[in-house]
Amino acid sequence: MLAMSEPATVPDPNAPSGQLEGDLVRRARRGDLEAYDELVRRYQERIYATIYHMTANHEDANDLAQEAFIKAFSALKSFKGGSSFYTWLYRIAVNKTINFLKQRRNKYHISLNDIDFNAEHDPDLIALISDKTPQRDVNLSELQKKLNEALLKLSEPHRMVVVLHDVQGVSHEEIAEIVGCNIGTVRSRLFYARQQLQGYLADYIKS
Amino acid sequence: MSDSNNNFEDLKRLLKLKQHEVPPPGYFNRFSGDVVSRIRAGDAGGRAGVLDGIQTGSPFLASIFRLLEARPSIIGGFATSLCLVLLVGVVLADRPENASAGPDFASTSGISDAAPALASTVPLATADNSGISISTNPVSSLQPVASMFGSQNPLFQNASFNSGQ
Repeated sequence: MLAMSEPATVPDPNAPSGQLEGDLVRRARRGDLEAYDELVRRYQERIYATIYHMTANHEDANDLAQEAFIKAFSALKSFKGGSSFYTWLYRIAVNKTINFLKQRRNKYHISLNDIDFNAEHDPDLIALISDKTPQRDVNLSELQKKLNEALLKLSEPHRMVVVLHDVQGVSHEEIAEIVGCNIGTVRSRLFYARQQLQGYLADYIKS
Repeated sequence: MSDSNNNFEDLKRLLKLKQHEVPPPGYFNRFSGDVVSRIRAGDAGGRAGVLDGIQTGSPFLASIFRLLEARPSIIGGFATSLCLVLLVGVVLADRPENASAGPDFASTSGISDAAPALASTVPLATADNSGISISTNPVSSLQPVASMFGSQNPLFQNASFNSGQ
């Protein structure tokens, strides 16, 4: 259905639409909005999903994702090509999101998206609800709420690493490049964040 | 450690639920259009662009802006203090003139003390009120000091307002 409903992998920049990403970036840098529209279409789902999982709010994610793309367009001239456009764009989105969350100072307003139909048929989730969850009457919506609340308890850097790696499927190396730290830091943040989440969600994942 | 890893596997399974959260139907069909239309409308050069520019140029300034945005009371306090400074400035701007006028009057009175007879016969303020306005600015060098010694100052020339004479 959507890219965010699948385990994410780094998109092949040259695969979709038969257009080379480098060409699109060059054209967009010259002000070609059609080329930029194509770039937006390529990455909109992943950028939106990352921001949404960080904010747990659709409206905020919509605003921030649009602003990230607009900012990227205005800053295209400064894009030197040292990293891929995808990583560079991700960095802009991540910085915008972190700044936004710092401004909001932990005052969260949760506005969650609906769970798609496929979730009810996901074997992992079915097993989790029917076998592993002590509270047998828990449903997916409640689980979704608890999961998001637990994520929001994490600090922004820790939440970002969990979202990028465990939800979006971004590799450690890419996360290090996006967030601007070394791989060791990414690994340690991921371990700590998982431990924290495990504690918050103990009722739902205990065997 | 293996237990911990197993639990992490459960956690990862639970986190898969996040991948099933989807925005409203058709949302991504109009997303890129919204972005492009905002770019066309010049949003790229707007407020966000300026702040981002500041952020890349000077993170210190950006943090100040963020602080001001997060705490509007700081902006209010800053504006109030600015108004107070302005008010004090206006008040002080009036005072130096008066304050400087005092000593100069004192100096003229000092002259008067030096020549009490002259001061009594030719009061400065009432020297000539016939249609000539008297400036309050102290122009002590133009006061008739030279005449005190009975000789005309060659730099002074008597003005005559009578035409044709």
